[in-house]
Amino acid sequence: MSLVSGLRAASYGVPFLPVAGIHGSDLPQANGWKKIADPYGSGQEVYVIPAIAPDVTVIHANEVDAEGNARVYGTPFWDHPLTRAAKRVLITAEKLVTTEHLARQPELTLVPGFLVEAVAIVPNGAWPGSMHPYYEIDYPAVERYVDESPGALERHMAEAPEVREMVNRK
Amino acid sequence: MWTSFSYLVINLARQIRADERTFSGVNSTLPMLACLLAKRAYDFPFTYLNVSGGVNPLPSKIPHSSSDPLLNEGSASIFSNQDFYDLCARGGLDLVYLGCAQIDGRGRTNVSVIGNTLAPKVRLPGGGGAAVMLPTAKRVVTWRTEHSPRALVETLDFVTADGNMAALITPLAVFAREPRPGTRFRLVSRHPEATLANITARTGFRFDAGYVPVTPPPTERERAALASLDPDGAFAADVNPA
Repeated sequence: MSLVSGLRAASYGVPFLPVAGIHGSDLPQANGWKKIADPYGSGQEVYVIPAIAPDVTVIHANEVDAEGNARVYGTPFWDHPLTRAAKRVLITAEKLVTTEHLARQPELTLVPGFLVEAVAIVPNGAWPGSMHPYYEIDYPAVERYVDESPGALERHMAEAPEVREMVNRK
Repeated sequence: MWTSFSYLVINLARQIRADERTFSGVNSTLPMLACLLAKRAYDFPFTYLNVSGGVNPLPSKIPHSSSDPLLNEGSASIFSNQDFYDLCARGGLDLVYLGCAQIDGRGRTNVSVIGNTLAPKVRLPGGGGAAVMLPTAKRVVTWRTEHSPRALVETLDFVTADGNMAALITPLAVFAREPRPGTRFRLVSRHPEATLANITARTGFRFDAGYVPVTPPPTERERAALASLDPDGAFAADVNPA
């Protein structure tokens, strides 16, 4: 929540944003967060989180058109504040679709193309994570990924969908 | 030749620049027409956002209201109130059209009250975000269909918004100012039938005017685009003197 407050502050164009809770946590001291008195006189104190504007946000979408309009099915998690707070936005997506397709239900477009700098079509790009409703998480691949034995990371990388696609193209 | 209507819409459209993000809001029929005209008459790309949430819409017919859902037709996304206000607040809008009841020579606007704040003669609709958008948009353009000393004033009854006002379009003239603190409007061009003396008499605020050229006439493409947007003259009839 405190991270999101920082992203929201950046997307709202303000230097910081109040956030509920936090009292009693060691996080303010660890992060240098300040608290301020309610200027309207309730007597409450509230922590304020400084704005966080990512240099680049990259999100993986279900569908994108050539102009960068990106649609996400299922939950968008924090894709909305992340794409609004960032200085630059890049989209990877499962499918390239037409603008006409997106225009039939424009309210499903999460990121408008005018905010997007570049697009890449990467089928299975969320692997080994899930991409609703196309594929579920690949737990065996995650287990191989977290294996710390020599060569495990290299084997994981060699399994990645974009790498396999390059091999198939050769 | 110009009418009041064509002078307003075309000169509003001429404020739009290539590759910029342009926004038009509620109760802004003339800026809505200006944005749609610019899409048809000018070759450069720009992003046209509107209060209905449309992004570069292609409406099947031209709505009377600038917040009509027709302004979403053909749009590939809905960029609605929270999004466009936030985009403006973080400095992401290049040109915003904002209306006014009164405007002064520093480009400040009043859309709140005429008369005393606590006992107003007229209570106006309010800023609709103007106090946030005027200082945070890179450039703001406003318009008045009435060019009179009661609308263009030396002293506002109430300052609703102050900030990056860049141009004022009336049926008689185009005023511009550098959108930064301390600058005032200068008269940059005039309707061919309006003299400097006439404009001065009908303007309540002091303004700079050196040599004031006649506004370049509408181009064939501007004229054709406006005719296509208002084929039966209904929009024009709302503005032009009977």
